[in-house]
Amino acid sequence: MSATARIRLFTLWRREVNRFMKIKKQTIGAPLLETFLYISVFGAALGTRIDELHGIDYVVFVIPGLIMMAWSINAFSNNSSSILQQKFQGAIQDQLSSPASPLELLLAFSLGGFMRGLVVAALTFTAASFLVDLPVDHVLVLIPALFLVGFFFSQLGVLIGVRAEQFDDVAFAQTFILTPLIFLGGVFYSASLLPEPYETLTHFNPIYYMINLVRYGFLGYTEASIALSLLALTAATAALFALNLRLFSRGYRLRA
Amino acid sequence: MSGNALHIEDLFKRYPTGVEALRGVSLEIKPGELFALLGPNGAGKSTLIHCTTGLAQPTGGRIQVFGHDAIGGDYSEARQAVGLAPQELNLDWFLTVEETLDYHAGYFGMPKRERRERTEELLEVFSLTDKRKERTRTLSGGMKRRAILARAMMHRPRLLILDEPTAGVDVELRLELWHYVQRINQEGTTILLTTHYIEEAEQLCDRIAFINEGEVVAEGTSGELASRFGVANLEDAYLALVGRKELSRSHIEVVT
Repeated sequence: MSATARIRLFTLWRREVNRFMKIKKQTIGAPLLETFLYISVFGAALGTRIDELHGIDYVVFVIPGLIMMAWSINAFSNNSSSILQQKFQGAIQDQLSSPASPLELLLAFSLGGFMRGLVVAALTFTAASFLVDLPVDHVLVLIPALFLVGFFFSQLGVLIGVRAEQFDDVAFAQTFILTPLIFLGGVFYSASLLPEPYETLTHFNPIYYMINLVRYGFLGYTEASIALSLLALTAATAALFALNLRLFSRGYRLRA
Repeated sequence: MSGNALHIEDLFKRYPTGVEALRGVSLEIKPGELFALLGPNGAGKSTLIHCTTGLAQPTGGRIQVFGHDAIGGDYSEARQAVGLAPQELNLDWFLTVEETLDYHAGYFGMPKRERRERTEELLEVFSLTDKRKERTRTLSGGMKRRAILARAMMHRPRLLILDEPTAGVDVELRLELWHYVQRINQEGTTILLTTHYIEEAEQLCDRIAFINEGEVVAEGTSGELASRFGVANLEDAYLALVGRKELSRSHIEVVT
């Protein structure tokens, strides 16, 4: 990569990070508060009644899913909102008329949300570690799993942001598709406790495998094959990246 | 390979809505020229500019900027050579004036020290120094226009495209801009200007092209165009082009 291309890519990424840092009460503060409300309600309040799941304290069982949820939702909503806002203002023309390649543009837009997800997830992890004894059993699974989850949802955010024509489109994707899939993927419970057909149905939810990967990384507990989940997540992330790159190369809904 | 600053050959653009905005436009702008494109609203001026800068994708034809193919594999070099001040006030609301300039230059690969020096220079030129820390959203219309002009010039483009730069600005900024445009033109920057102010084109530009309904219908110096249409001046030539000869100022009685 040439020095010019490096400056370009770094600046494009810096703009994305700068955007969410300028409104950090909304982009960092609010998701952190939300995560702690979940920990308080599901951990401290309900947890005293539920006690243990598969031999793990309920609050500890829930936290890996919450970290994964924080990373994914923030990566998604950052990228979808940022792209749509810039399209709406016309400001995206400044990047689109620059010499940046479709790959550079896609990477910069993706990594903005990835970074925000990483910041929120890291702060959640740090704070949760003070509250409970949170083990990290399989760091070599946890790190790639979290990075893949972050990158997958960054890509999904880019896709929705590029496709969206109004703010309602982004809100629809997040409220009616993403949030239900995350909640029903087993953040707050173990799918093995569900009655049929719900247990089987959960296996069709891709988020279920992501939660299992992250939970396995932290706690060593899983309900799905780790190798298969990692493979499937890698394939899905690569496919989404390839799709986005194709859309950026064709200028889909970005260039008239 | 064309030695022209801008070489447009048989350019077509049909939007997905079916609107044919450009119908076989061909145009040559020589290095160092100050060239005006005149035409009524919807004539295709902005579409032509968008095709040149990568904001729109032509459906046919060729565009070369200083010999670089702006549509094909050379687009990066072609865009590097172009600075665009669009008609719309498309500033990024999240950025300050200073950041707007700095990021733009970064998108064009300019190193940090050079960006800093150039930012200082252009803030001064466009009387924006005391607004440097203000977010662009809070600026007045005139200040936003100044910021857009400064942004277009940040990376020292060899071809500067000004799309109706003086629309809605006060006399002071209009004259400041005229002076600056003439100065950088004398220093070697090629300029393509679109405007609705005939006297602006007449005073500033070496050559002028009339564009109407997606076609370049006439091209030449102000005097050549007037004689082509068999009228006294450029404004009357323009009125003849749009079929509104009755509006000629020669029909207005002077009140004494």
